[in-house]
Amino acid sequence: MRRLTIFMLTTMMLVLAVPALAFAQDAPSTAELSLAMDTMWVIIAAVLVLFMQAGFAMLEVGFSSMKNVGSVVAKILVNLAIAALLFWAVGFAITFGTGNAIFGTQGWFLAVPAGQVNEVYAGLAWTQVPLSAKFLFQVAFCAVSLAIVWGTMLERTKFAVYVIFAVVFAGLLYPLVGHWIWGGGWLTELGMQDFAGSTVVHLSGAMAALAGTLLLGPRLGKYDDEGRPVTIPGHNMPLAVLGVLILWVGWYGFNPGSTMAASTQIADIALTTTLAAAAGVLGAMTMSYVYRRNIDVGMGGNGAIAALVAITAPCAFVAPWASIVIGFLAGVIMYATLVFVDRIGVDDPLGAIAAHGMGGIWGTLSCGLFTTPALAAVGEPGLFYGGGFYQLGIQALGIVACGGFVFLASLAVFAALKATIGIRVKPDQELDGLDIHEHGVFGYPDLVATDYQNGNGNGRSREPVSGAKTEGTL
Amino acid sequence: MEAPITQATAHNNTIVAVFPDRVEIKSGWQSQNVESFNLREISAATRGFVNATLKLETNKGRVLELTRMAPPDARRVRNAIESQKRLAGLYD
Repeated sequence: MRRLTIFMLTTMMLVLAVPALAFAQDAPSTAELSLAMDTMWVIIAAVLVLFMQAGFAMLEVGFSSMKNVGSVVAKILVNLAIAALLFWAVGFAITFGTGNAIFGTQGWFLAVPAGQVNEVYAGLAWTQVPLSAKFLFQVAFCAVSLAIVWGTMLERTKFAVYVIFAVVFAGLLYPLVGHWIWGGGWLTELGMQDFAGSTVVHLSGAMAALAGTLLLGPRLGKYDDEGRPVTIPGHNMPLAVLGVLILWVGWYGFNPGSTMAASTQIADIALTTTLAAAAGVLGAMTMSYVYRRNIDVGMGGNGAIAALVAITAPCAFVAPWASIVIGFLAGVIMYATLVFVDRIGVDDPLGAIAAHGMGGIWGTLSCGLFTTPALAAVGEPGLFYGGGFYQLGIQALGIVACGGFVFLASLAVFAALKATIGIRVKPDQELDGLDIHEHGVFGYPDLVATDYQNGNGNGRSREPVSGAKTEGTL
Repeated sequence: MEAPITQATAHNNTIVAVFPDRVEIKSGWQSQNVESFNLREISAATRGFVNATLKLETNKGRVLELTRMAPPDARRVRNAIESQKRLAGLYD
């Protein structure tokens, strides 16, 4: 009995002691735990931002005609692929590589000598997470900016244009603006506030979109014989709203994730993000009711997006009450811009110029108005907190410089494309839909192909066009 | 339905299509205005580097200018018209 007792006591002691000993030998330090937490948070945030591509896909599909939905998702996929590869090859180095005030000159192809990450990528030396996590998070931003470009150019753009412009945008235009504001460039030095990218991501995308749309022209049937805009409704409003909600959720990676550290600040940023988005919905819906006496679902969604865009720059710098003001006004400004843009002959099916362009401008300016002294980690407090006009001026300068540069550069690229390969599909391709002409399949084959089988393919012949030359008689 | 040899979009809902024997210009919100010109009575010229203008002139003195076209599109339409006119000359 005594031996049994000794055996059991010894066993129990071993069971209790061994794990403790194991932990004592391999216990991670507080710094290691902190790094692991930060890395995990940044990866989660990056995945959330990447998931925004699904939001853009659903939003664009919902606002498109049935005949073009396959084209939309194909474009989203190829743009994400190009953004990932180009940003890896050159974009990340230009944005965050150590260099001069205009562009980074080190770190091409993510190749860094061991232990020199912070020296090569000085623009991101402030965060301790591994280089791979930094890249994954930032490439997701680049892909979002690129996705914004095409919101205005839906349903009539050649697929080759998406591919070629994506290379230029992800490889050069976006990285340059990113370097100016985030990568230690000249606007960083001036203290411009753009926490998560109202200007870098959203305004850049919208300015490129505006340039492309001006050269592309409106969709056939968008303006009536008196030049009045005609609404071309999207084919699936629930899908569009699903897209908005996915984007809204994705924004919790976009804004709080931009801390690139698992700090308590992420909760505050998530709060301002939520309040702004909610106020944006109400702002846009209010405008819709005042202007048209109905509650436009699409505009409600665009109001949320405009508000999310607007709060992206100041999300870490402003008080919750200010985020409500910023969000509500973003919804109002978005609606007014959308009506104005429509009237002057710029066909923007998704409202990208209004939501991302004006939302981005308003959000960037709002930093100069509402930034509190306690939260002004970068730059100066806003005008309403006694900071004077300095920060507001810097914000305005950043908008003009970045927006103007991206607009002019994009205009040059689209002009070159228009002059060489053309940027618009042929009229019958536009009328029949891009799915069948550009991709050889229908987005909804069961609903559309049946018409072709019955000989009702929009009343158009399927014979090859080239054969017509030999049949001509004059 | 007869397929055009080539076609292009111009500003303001305008579509120009070249058929073996004629040029059709559709305009209006729903392409409700269709004008047809026999290839024998029309000549085409283009100008512009980014926003090209396709100028169609009939032998009755009427001039149609289709603006804001992509230069490759405008050139393709012009070339198709000239090509069809040359073919017609061979058969005369």
